[in-house]
Formats: sequence, C-alpha cells, structure tokens
Amino acid sequence: MSEKLLELKNVTMKFGGVTALNEVNFSVSKGEIAALIGPNGAGKTTVFNVVTGVYKPTSGEVNFNGVSVVGRKRYQVTKMGIARTFQNIRLFGESTALENVVTGADVHSKSGVVGAIFGTPRSRREEAAALERGLELLEFMGLRHRAGQLGKNLPYGDQRRLEIARALATNPQLLLLDEPAAGFNPAEKVALAETIRKIRDAGYTVLLIEHDMSLIMGISDRVAVLDFGQKIADDLPSIVQNDPRVIEAYLGAPADAS
Amino acid sequence: MADKKHKFNLRDHAADFWDASPRWRKVSLSFLFIAICYALPFLNNPLINTPGSDFQSVLFYPVGMYVLMAIGLNIVVGKSGLLDLGYVAFFAIGAYTMAILGTKTSLNFWEILPIGMGFAMLAGVLLGTPTLRLRGDYLAIVTLGFGEIVRIVAVNTDAIGGPRGIAGIPTPPDIFNAKFTILDPKPYYWLLLTFTLLMIWVVRRMAARRPGRAWDAIRQDDDVAQLMGVNTLKYKVWAFVLGAAVAGVGGVIYASQILSIVPDQFNLNVSILILACVVFGGIGNVWGVILGAALLAFTPERIRFLSQPRILVFGVALVVMMNLRPDGVLPKKKREHFDPDWHTIEESGEGEIK
Amino acid sequence: MDFALLRDAFWGLTFDGLALGAIYALISLGYTLVYGVLRLINFAHSEVFMIGTFASLVASGIMGVKVEDDPRTGWKMVLTLLVCLLFSMAASAITAVLVEIVAYRRLRQRGATKLATLISAIGVSISLVELFRIITDSLPREFPRIMDKTFLFSYAGADIRNDKVIVIVAAGVMMFALERFISKSRYGKGIRAVSMDETTATLMGVNINRVITVTFLAGGLMAGAAAFFYILTYENTSFKVGFFLGISAFTAAVLGGIGNLKGALFGGFMLGILETYTSAVFGTAWKAVISFSILVLVLLIKPTGLFGESIQQARV
Ligand SMILES: Nc1ncnc2c1ncn2[C@@H]1O[C@H](COP(=O)(O)OP(=O)(O)OP(=O)(O)O)[C@@H](O)[C@H]1O
Ligand SMILES: [Mg+2]
Repeated sequence: MSEKLLELKNVTMKFGGVTALNEVNFSVSKGEIAALIGPNGAGKTTVFNVVTGVYKPTSGEVNFNGVSVVGRKRYQVTKMGIARTFQNIRLFGESTALENVVTGADVHSKSGVVGAIFGTPRSRREEAAALERGLELLEFMGLRHRAGQLGKNLPYGDQRRLEIARALATNPQLLLLDEPAAGFNPAEKVALAETIRKIRDAGYTVLLIEHDMSLIMGISDRVAVLDFGQKIADDLPSIVQNDPRVIEAYLGAPADAS
Repeated sequence: MADKKHKFNLRDHAADFWDASPRWRKVSLSFLFIAICYALPFLNNPLINTPGSDFQSVLFYPVGMYVLMAIGLNIVVGKSGLLDLGYVAFFAIGAYTMAILGTKTSLNFWEILPIGMGFAMLAGVLLGTPTLRLRGDYLAIVTLGFGEIVRIVAVNTDAIGGPRGIAGIPTPPDIFNAKFTILDPKPYYWLLLTFTLLMIWVVRRMAARRPGRAWDAIRQDDDVAQLMGVNTLKYKVWAFVLGAAVAGVGGVIYASQILSIVPDQFNLNVSILILACVVFGGIGNVWGVILGAALLAFTPERIRFLSQPRILVFGVALVVMMNLRPDGVLPKKKREHFDPDWHTIEESGEGEIK
Repeated sequence: MDFALLRDAFWGLTFDGLALGAIYALISLGYTLVYGVLRLINFAHSEVFMIGTFASLVASGIMGVKVEDDPRTGWKMVLTLLVCLLFSMAASAITAVLVEIVAYRRLRQRGATKLATLISAIGVSISLVELFRIITDSLPREFPRIMDKTFLFSYAGADIRNDKVIVIVAAGVMMFALERFISKSRYGKGIRAVSMDETTATLMGVNINRVITVTFLAGGLMAGAAAFFYILTYENTSFKVGFFLGISAFTAAVLGGIGNLKGALFGGFMLGILETYTSAVFGTAWKAVISFSILVLVLLIKPTGLFGESIQQARV
C-alpha cells in the first residue's frame, strides 16, 4: 500500500440540522486518481470544503501528509499543497486568463509589497518565474491563445480548463477537481480524461468529483461513494460499479447526467 | 448587453496608441505630460481659471491634494475593493503630526514628513488588522467610525488645541530658490505634484506585480483568493497601510501650507468626497481616478460664481454622472489582448508541466 | 467622569435612552430593510428622515400652530399631532421611493457595481442636504409646542414625561405593524423572499421592482414616524439632522446585524440607552467614540452583529 497523502478520520460536518457528512473515513494515496461520487446533495463538495479549510468539521480529523489541516487558514492549506477547482466556476472574471493562473503561481513567491515597490532582484526573479509557470500551464491546458482574454469572456469549456490551470499553478501535491466535466460534450470529456491522466503522470495526485460514470470508470484507480453524508463504498471502479448499495443509492435518487 | 458597446472609445484608443508606441515616443510623451503638470500654475487662462479663488491656491488645494488622496484611496477601494469611509483620519493624523511636532519641537518639515507618514501607516495597521476581517459593509461603518473618532478625539483633547486646533505651524525650509511661504502656493503645488508622480509610479509598479494580482483577486472573490493561496488579510492590511501613507503625507504637506488646522476640517465629508473622486473618475484606473479627482475638486471652484447652489449642482452632477456612466468617466481597461504574444516572456515549448 | 449622575438618575436616563432608542430603531429599520433586499447601505436614508422632520414643521404651519402659541389641548391637539405624523410619514415615504427611482433603479438594471450605486446615493444625499440648507438659510428651525409636556408619573425617582411615553408607545405600535406587514402580507413575503435569494425569488414570480419600491416605502414610513417623534421631543430641526441621527441609526442597524429586523430594533434601543448613559458619565462629546468602540468590539466578537445577518453565509 502506498503512503496516504490525504486522510479523513471520522469527519462529521453539520449545518444546523443538516448533517452533510457523517463519520466519513476516507483517504487518498500518493500518485493515484481517486474519485468521489454520489447523488446530488450527498456531501461531495462538502468534503472539498472541509479539506481546503472552507469549513471546520464539526468533529473528526483531516490530515495531509500526516499533518492536520483543521483550523488552518485557507491560504495555508493551499501552501501545504492542496488546490481545487469549483463546481460553479469561480474564476477572476475581470482578470485575464494569464493573470488568473499567475495568481495561483504566486503562492510560492516570497517577495511581496516591499519587493514590488523597490523592484528587488528576488521580486523580479519570482515575477518572471510565476509568469513562466502561468504560460506553461496555459499551454498545457490548451489555453495559450487565451492568455490575454478576460476570464469572464472565455467559452465555457475554457473556463473550466482555466480553473484547473489556476489550481495547478499553485503546484499542489493534491489536486481537487469538483465536477470538471460538467456541461462537457463526450469529445470534451475524453480530452479531459486524457488531461487528468497527464496531470497524474506529471506527479500530481488527483481527487475528482464527477457524475459521469464512464469518465470515472475510465480513469480512476479507486472510487468512493457518498450517500446522505455517509460513505457507502470505497473500492476499485469495477467493484463499486456492481455494488448493490451503490446502485440503490443512485436508483433512489438518480444522478442527472450533467 | 456587452455587444452593444462597440462605440468609439477614446480610452482604449489612447491605450492602444500608447502600447503601440516605440520607447522614444513613450518617454517624450511622459516628459511632456510631466512638464505640463509642473507648468500648470502659469497656465492661468480664462478657460480653466477660478473666479472667486486664487487659481494657484486651488491647484494645491483642493485639486492637487484630492488627486493625491484619491490615488491613495484607490489602492484601498479601487484595487482591493475595501470600502473605506474614514480615509480622512489618516490625513488628519498626518496634519496633526506636522502641527504638533512643528510647533512643539524643533524638527522641520522634512524630518516630520516621514514621521507623519509613519504614524498614519501605524494607524492603518492598528485599525486594519482587527477590522479587515469584516465583510465589506461592516468595514465601511467601522472605518467611518474611526474617521469620526479621530476627529472627536481632536476636538476634545485640549492638549492639542481642542476645537480651536493648532495655529502657527511652520512652513518647510526653502529648497534652492523655492521659498515656501503662505503667499506663494506654487512650491507647495510642485512638492505635492512630485510626490503624486512618485505615487503614480509606485502604484503602477505594484499593479503589474504580485500585490496587484492579489488585490485583484481579493476584490473579485475573497473566498477564492484565499483558496488560491493569497494571504488576503495581509494584502488588505498592506492596501490600507499604503493608502494611509499617502494620506499621511498629504496631511503633513497640507498642514505646513495652511499654517493652522482645526479638527472640523477633517470631517466625514472629506472621506466621502475623496471616495466620490475615485468612483466618479473610474475606479481602479489610476488615470481615471486622477481625472475624477481633478474634475470634482476643480468644478466647485470653477463654478464658485454660483456661490449658493454650487454644492447642490455638485451633488446632482454626481447622481447624473453615475447614472450615465456607472463605471466612471474613465473606467478601467476592458480591452483584451487577442494577440497571444503580447507579453515578453518566451514560450516554453512542448506544453509539459514540471 | 460622573458616575454619580448615572447612579442617581439611572431610571430617568434609561427612560430617555429608550425614547431616543425608539427613534433610532425606527430609522435603522429603513437601513436594514433596504440592505436586506439590495445588499446596499442606503446613504440617502438619513435625508429621508431629515425631510420628515421638515414635513412636520410644514404640517404644523398648515394647522395654524405658531411657535409663540400656547400648547393645544383636547381633540385639537390630537388632530394636530396626527396630521403632523401623517405628513412626516407621507413625505419621508415619497422621498424614499423617489430616492430609489433616481439613485438606484437605473444603476441596478444596468448591473452597476455597489460602489457606483453608493456614490449615486451619496449624490442624492448631498443634493437634498444642500437643497434644505439653501431653503432654510443654514439656520435651525424651531418646532412649536403642540402638546404641553408634563410629567406623567414618577418611577424610582425618575420623572417620566408624557411625550417620551408617547414616543415609546407609538414607536412600538409602528414596529408591530411593520412586523405584521413583513410576515403576513404578500409584499412582506416578497421582501423576505428577495432578501433570502433574489434569483430564486424572481424565478418564483416575485416582481423585484415592486418589492424594492415597497421596501423603500416601508423604510420611509418608519423614518417619517421617527422624524415626527424626533421633532416632537426635541422641538427643532435643521438640514444637518439627518447626518447626526443617520450615523447613529446606521450604527444601530449594524450592531444588531444588518438585514435583520429584530437586530435593528434591538440595536436601536441598545444604542439609544448606551448613548444616554455615556453622555451622562463622560459628557456628550464622547458618546460617538464610545458607541463606535462598542460597535467595533461587538463586530470583532460577532462579525455579523449581535443577531447575525438574516442571510446565509455564502457557499463555496
Ligand atoms: N454552507 C452550507 N449551509 C447549509 N447547508 C449546506 C451548506 N453546504 C452544504 N450544505 C448541505 O449539505 C449537503 C451536502 O451538500 P454538498 O454541496 O456537499 O453536496 P454535493 O454532494 O456536492 O451535491 P451536488 O452533486 O449537488 O454538488 C446538502 O444538503 C447541502 O444543502
Ligand atoms: Mg457538489
């Protein structure tokens, strides 16, 4: 068994009366593509929110590389090496595609306001490095020609891809993708699957929320299933696919094909 | 909606022209612009003169001062999207530092200038660190309160003159042939202008670098900015502190020219007026802000002949303008670069990620 | 510092504070209502209040009351008071609705930024203040005494004056009426729906424009009532009155949790009482400093005010 990068232990998340996550145990190993599936409202996005420090879990532990992320500031979590995309695209719409990505790449710069004012060598170096990384990632996601366009003016698919580029720019160990293929046509989905595989091959670990079963089955090494905040399965895709509890969860509340 | 707007757009044309200009043209245009700014006190012609008040004085205050303060506030409101309704407090701190140290110690203007700036920045940190966690509108009321508190404290503290303020503030020592006297506002204007140009340079520099991107991100989506690794609180405090520094310097210069200050000069209206300059001109765009401040500071003086209703006219103009141009007279660029090679960095090639 | 005064006159001060708080609460309801629906601070609301005070003044003139007259009695007095109240409420409500049309509507429909809208509202506010400054020649105006002010009764050494009792009781009635309106009427439900989620409300067939108009109207009515109570108690007004009361009322709204009606009421009363106490102890000069310090403290502990916003926290 390879080492655990992310580990959730008995995580419970309550919003008033709603229990979005109920004693969830779940882990992601280094170098894999793990998938998180489940019907609408199952608590998938909440897992991301708990992992990235958006919400503090009501109880339970969240460890990254053996270090707890609970109670840490969001930007610290990102610095530790977790980056994400959003189910409802949340780009910086008034910034260009390149600026969006470079904002992510800035995480590892050390110079700030003072460096920028005085134009210190370190600041110049880091600016150049961040810009270069931004361009590389745009290229990688096939967005090089969009560099100068505003985020809000990009076509839908490019917006989704730009979110991935921006997240990658922070150089994460773990990349969280929240329904990256939502609204994609089959050809785009195939291309996306290919991209995700390439990301993994480049050394990143990926945790993916997705509703499209064929996409999931095609690329993931492991699939965990949430239903009403509870984990009901966690295994190889082929096994999960035939798990009666999983089938029931989906038949009870069929996932829309989005 | 957006498609309708393919009208001729002066700003974009000007910006394109600028971008396409060779270096020599940029340099000479900049020099020309700066030269005109410095020569303004001598360009007292009927078109821009201010009947009813001395044109050269108007250039220093309110026009120059508002332009400077608007540039400072723009870092806070325009760049970072933080609604600060108490900006005048930092101006007051600068002015009072000059007044107190100038009358009670032997320090001269040039020595007090950095101290005043430092005090204003310190106030920015002290106010900002706890309150910048608050969401937008809460921040607005807290800053508004801070502005009022500074004024009220000044009114009620007899050691600094109470409501009568401080008189007899020394003028700056002469530099070369420029004599700083109450009778001649020109040297003050030039001093202010120099500092303003410096600030424009600093702001433009930051806008293109990491702080600028961080502020952009914070303004557009604070939550996502945090999740992309931006230490939002730190950059907000920085925005506050830089804004405070500008206002602090403005305050020091102002006090040394006006020679006596009273607390009621530093009321909420000043904060609001400067905010209006920022939004009116074109929030986030330093040229727009400058234009806005110049217009809003200058217009009431220009129409002083209307004496009674001039502020009324000003208020109505504000409403009409915002309704007609909600993004300001000279809004931030909406242009995009369709040419993928508009920046200077070399392409990396195969599209692999490391 | 004079703690003895606070101790000796505690109940009297508390009562005065309640009366002032009632006025704050009525004004802050307007801030909170508009904020709930538009997520905007209505900067012109203070002038809605200011105009209400002048409307009472005009009404008293129409009713033939003069400053040098003796206070009226019996039905004549009640009638005069009622006419003044209605005049104030009508004037403030109309102003509020006009403010929305002039300062907000077009900008909202164009999807303008919050700041642009704020400046537009500030422009309206400046214009109204200036208009009244010019009309009144920058002078305060005295309001005739319509009702004889007597002490109704004493409680724990505090003499309770009749006008303050009327203010508190009448303000309570107003707030109750507003509460009924918001929770029971069709428009009230619309207001609540829009406050919770504008998009969903639109999808569910709520006419946003009309809801917004009604919101401003309701806020204006409350501010108008506050204006009448204010001028009845303090017997003068000026073009600056909106500024002073507006800041306090807005502080009260934030203190309670802006967007939250209960919060506005509680914040109003709390601030009224606090200001009265601190004025007694530290002198009136410091009351704003202390109110703001308390506000900051509250916000640092509870970032969305005492009662919290009615709006849900934004989801990621
Ligand atoms: N901030 C919040 N406040 C209250 N309830 C919340 C909040 N966030 C999530 N929930 C609730 O938690 C439950 C799980 O939500 P979550 O967004 O995690 O579902 P999901 O699995 O991502 O669903 P979908 O497939 O629709 O994206 C839902 O019932 C949701 O309403
Ligand atoms: Mg989800």
